[in-house]
Amino acid sequence: MHVLIALGLAWQTISPEAAQHVQAAMEARKQGRLADAIAEFKKVTELAPDLAAAYVNLGAAYMEDHQYGAAITPLKKSLELNPDLVGAQQMLGYALLAQGYAAESIPYLEKSKSQAALGIAQLKVGKLSEAVANLSAALQKQPGDSDLLYYLGRASGLLSKEAFDTLESSFPDSARSHQALAENYSVLKQVPEAEKEFLDALRLRPDAPGIHLALGELYAAASNWSKAEEQFRAEKQLQPGDAEPAYRLGSALLEQGKIKEAKAELEQADRLRPGMPETLYVLGKADSLNGNAAAAEKAWLQVIALAKTGPITAQAHFGLAGLYRKQGKTADAEREIQEYRRQAAKPVEK
Amino acid sequence: MQSGALALLESRYLLNPLLYGLCGLALGLAIFDVGQPRGFDFLHQNSPTSQKYLIETMGGGVALLDYNNDGLMDIFVVNSGRLTDPMRLPESFQRSDPKFWNRLYRQNHDGSFTDVTEAAGLAHAGDTNYGMGVAAADYDNDGYTDLYVTSYGKNVLYHNNGNGTFTDVTQKAGVAAGGWSVSAGFFDYDNDGHLDLFVTRYMEWDTAHSKVCARQTYCPPGEFPPTTNVLYHNRGDGTFEDVSRTSEIAKCKGKALGVAFNDYDGDGFADIFVANDGMEQFLFHNNGNGTFTERALESGVSFSDDGKPYSGMGVDFRDYDNDGRPDIIVTDLARQVYAVYHNDGNGAFSYRSLQTGMGSLSAGSSGWGMRLEDFDNDGWKDLFVAQSHVMDNVEKIDPSLHYLEPPLLALNHNGRFERANSGTTAAVAGRGAAFGDLNNDGWIDVVMTVLGGPAVVFRNRAGNAHWLTVSLVGTRSNRDGFGARIDVNGQTQYANYGGSYLSSSDKRVHFGLGAAEKADIRILWPSGTRQNLNGVRADQFVQVKEPERP
Repeated sequence: MHVLIALGLAWQTISPEAAQHVQAAMEARKQGRLADAIAEFKKVTELAPDLAAAYVNLGAAYMEDHQYGAAITPLKKSLELNPDLVGAQQMLGYALLAQGYAAESIPYLEKSKSQAALGIAQLKVGKLSEAVANLSAALQKQPGDSDLLYYLGRASGLLSKEAFDTLESSFPDSARSHQALAENYSVLKQVPEAEKEFLDALRLRPDAPGIHLALGELYAAASNWSKAEEQFRAEKQLQPGDAEPAYRLGSALLEQGKIKEAKAELEQADRLRPGMPETLYVLGKADSLNGNAAAAEKAWLQVIALAKTGPITAQAHFGLAGLYRKQGKTADAEREIQEYRRQAAKPVEK
Repeated sequence: MQSGALALLESRYLLNPLLYGLCGLALGLAIFDVGQPRGFDFLHQNSPTSQKYLIETMGGGVALLDYNNDGLMDIFVVNSGRLTDPMRLPESFQRSDPKFWNRLYRQNHDGSFTDVTEAAGLAHAGDTNYGMGVAAADYDNDGYTDLYVTSYGKNVLYHNNGNGTFTDVTQKAGVAAGGWSVSAGFFDYDNDGHLDLFVTRYMEWDTAHSKVCARQTYCPPGEFPPTTNVLYHNRGDGTFEDVSRTSEIAKCKGKALGVAFNDYDGDGFADIFVANDGMEQFLFHNNGNGTFTERALESGVSFSDDGKPYSGMGVDFRDYDNDGRPDIIVTDLARQVYAVYHNDGNGAFSYRSLQTGMGSLSAGSSGWGMRLEDFDNDGWKDLFVAQSHVMDNVEKIDPSLHYLEPPLLALNHNGRFERANSGTTAAVAGRGAAFGDLNNDGWIDVVMTVLGGPAVVFRNRAGNAHWLTVSLVGTRSNRDGFGARIDVNGQTQYANYGGSYLSSSDKRVHFGLGAAEKADIRILWPSGTRQNLNGVRADQFVQVKEPERP
């Protein structure tokens, strides 16, 4: 444990007897005999009761032995003797958090700049926006940490819920409150209720961005493409610079077989936000249906280059196979089918 | 419609105004009058249980055939059986109870029907058989149409004795199959003049190994193992040989519900399309040497255009855009879109559900029995689909979906389908559908079965366009002429009354001629014989006999 090394110079000021116990404790710790190490460090604290390093090392040994409750007292004592011991602050923060004293742990974790643990502590005490900020920052440094991902997801969810609860309790008749309710119904697949709330929201604020889009998505999920088209069109009018409504409108038009109109919208979506595999895939479909094999091929090859793996890549390979088959390029079609099979991972059963 | 004609229609069809109200005017005039003709009182019995046995939601086959050769279409309807809740072993579906019999209705000259089930020897379909579908054909070339009835249990081949009665010849013929058979169809895969038999089987399932899925629903097919289909070769002596293995049909295990036949690559041999539920579809290419190769993926007919599997149920294999090549349409579950595969030639198909308008027409619907037929005689084959979701409580899972649905009628305008007024908005659990000219007026009618309900007749109101109906009599080819390609005034039909779901249609081949008063007929028989008839007058039934010598 780095605390022990960092405080190495402090041992030079103690009595030979205490130094002997320090030596024994260090040896025991090195050999993994944590109980012996703890006993030896305890003796050191008795022989040198004003030595902060002795308490830090006792606390560290407890921590190493997963005795978080026992670690708290010596760590606190060490900070009484020397409030600048960053390592002690960090360990005390961890120990308190591990024992459920989240609120108490926060000052120590703040001082030691332990963002991950601090974010978790803040989540536990309901400081949600701070928790999200600290967990996000920690996740940037450790992107593959599943614990951090979980806590960040949980903190974000609770923060979101808190905001929606406030919205619904403080502004129950607002457009956004109706929209939030609608989105909840939508998740629950309660389509008529969701539709009613969206329409109420639009009645109150017909020009609020996002509501037409969400209502359109509700209709699209129910395969009600003509109504979806209407809503996406309205959203596009409100937000002509946003690629999303154009993409959604293009997709809805394509589902209805309005191929040329769909292509125009999808091209616009691609201009507004280039390099989106979803847009390019549907654009490729529109091109293919429109008989423009070269454009479809180009779009799908871009999808593959951008996405590389996953369902949309499999779909692009499948589309290319169809194109090549139609052109009589049997070997190319076969190659794409093989790629499709590989990407789709045996798409035999639903 | 004039009042006199309406009175006649009502007396013959006894329309039930509560169930079958006419549609609004938004979709134009109705193509059909909908109801049950006098004497046609079939009520399907599926016996739904809390066990959610899958068989109880799948049944309801129907066949249109002229069993007594009197020139009038008769109706054979398959019943299912009794299920106890739960089933006890050994399984018995109490098919001896008349309530659960399959039924044969003979058409009378006044358009009414008489139940002749018992007299025809078709009562009691076997207690261990829970009925599913039917295929009708003259398998022994004796001039009388026979019946093959599929079941969960054992299938039954009824030989038509030619005197109004049938005899169960299953054992002698060797075609019982076993397991859970669904759709079946006769076709001549080796062009030897004898009709062979293809039987689809759904999955490895039995009542003892059934399960109920979350929210008390029928389980999806993924919960059960796939199984093989069965191909029987007709030896020509009244017996069949199971060639499923040697033909390589059994190499592919699927979850088959529908089957249709056509020669998609024009090599003179009938190919097979099998609609599978919840997985890739099968296209068995006939190699012409007694074997088949499954080529759906390579041909572009295995998945949706996004490469996704869907729940294939009903199927038709016919040319919808009059380019002379057979296309494929497959019905499936809501949210999946009925698949339209256009035959591009060279053995390749392209997915055209969106361009043809089928995407919008079917996105929220689930389809079963179906067929491309020219209902308005304008020279383009239209589409009728019996619809309903598979789950009787689907609204609980997704309130935007519906278990009961009215059928879809879509008229074909130069290859694009548009919704039309079928004559009813009544939502029912449609399953099987058979197509043919019930009253010999030159306009195609439909009989649709309803799961656990009364079967419905859609009688075509007719119009002014011209038509021509061709009856084939094979001599060197099979007597029904199955597998013949008939070209009339730029349209193509493939003689075969399979396809749809669980059902078998009028074997006469119908063409709408629009304004044309004459037709040129070109027939390519399965034997390879070509036959031309020029300047044939429209609006008649023409019987064409295959030349005995090439």
